[in-house]
Amino acid sequence: MSEDQIALLEVTRNLDKTWETLAPRYGVTNPNPPWKTSLTAMCDCLAVSGALPALDRRRAEDELADSLYSDVPSPERQLLALVHTMVSRGLVSEADLASRMRIVRERLEAV
Amino acid sequence: MSHTHTHGNPGDSHHKAAPMVEEITDYEVLEIAVRELAIEHGLFTAEDHRRFTEWAESIGPAAGSRLVAKAWTDPAFKALALKDGLKACKEIGVDWAEPTGVGTPSDYMEFHLLEDTPTLHHVIVCTLCSCYPRPLLGMSPEWYRTTNYRRRLVRWPRQVLAEFGLILPPEVEVRVEDSNQKCRFMVLPMRPAGTDKWSEEQLAAIVTRDCMIGVALPKPGRTVDVHPIQKARRPVKGSHQEAAQ
Repeated sequence: MSEDQIALLEVTRNLDKTWETLAPRYGVTNPNPPWKTSLTAMCDCLAVSGALPALDRRRAEDELADSLYSDVPSPERQLLALVHTMVSRGLVSEADLASRMRIVRERLEAV
Repeated sequence: MSHTHTHGNPGDSHHKAAPMVEEITDYEVLEIAVRELAIEHGLFTAEDHRRFTEWAESIGPAAGSRLVAKAWTDPAFKALALKDGLKACKEIGVDWAEPTGVGTPSDYMEFHLLEDTPTLHHVIVCTLCSCYPRPLLGMSPEWYRTTNYRRRLVRWPRQVLAEFGLILPPEVEVRVEDSNQKCRFMVLPMRPAGTDKWSEEQLAAIVTRDCMIGVALPKPGRTVDVHPIQKARRPVKGSHQEAAQ
């Protein structure tokens, strides 16, 4: 498991935008961000398909939680660790991800 | 996706939407982006993702609470639950085969209920990762996933339980059950005194998630898991002010 920084994820990592910081700012009481269940489902799907076995994913998450993302709270840490693992294993590329993030943001912010 | 609403009682004219976060974070964008790419790359299908999302949203500790309450009030059901946990789960409407027909990769279809007695207390952990009886208890709490809990519980169980506010007398044996890739466990706590004439519904209300993990005990009046911040018994007065100077 590579614990080298991934530039895109370093840009994405923002402690001021984690759910535990953001939710109280807006008076939101839901303990989890809206994407948490989807993240959980994604982990299950990757395990079912064999693309990323659950034990491999959790081992990598433990390693990254103790090192690179130790200062990031959950579930953001879980998300960053999952994506880090997927990029490290070549399941998705950093360039594709950066490009898709721009597209997704444009879509979500469209009026 | 981020739009959550509360629903008042029928006829409630003061229906109000719950507040919501009015900004899109890079985390939310990242989750969507990686999911879309994973589907496009054929790592899984959108249909599978929808099915697992619906399943994850449907589970929670209420099912476990029902199972315990029924075991407390129905001796035949309790015997079944201790002998064949999966069959007992089906009787209360929980099918471990969902959502795929053979369960999920994180929920191996082998389940055992651990019965507490006056001299034996169980607590569950997964030292390897975060195995958890999700069909009965829903998603695991964050502390359950931490290496802090997983590493220390097996070495110093009484100390860790005390950190949850659960201090057991020395004559009570503490047994830590390590979940694994092949088996899930859940604690059947003892029915507390003062609940003799309670209904199953009343009983279920005091069987919280933490009681079924084994880091708390059910008792009348305790219906939510709140991890207390213990006040120091012997606070050192003024030490922080001095340190700040």
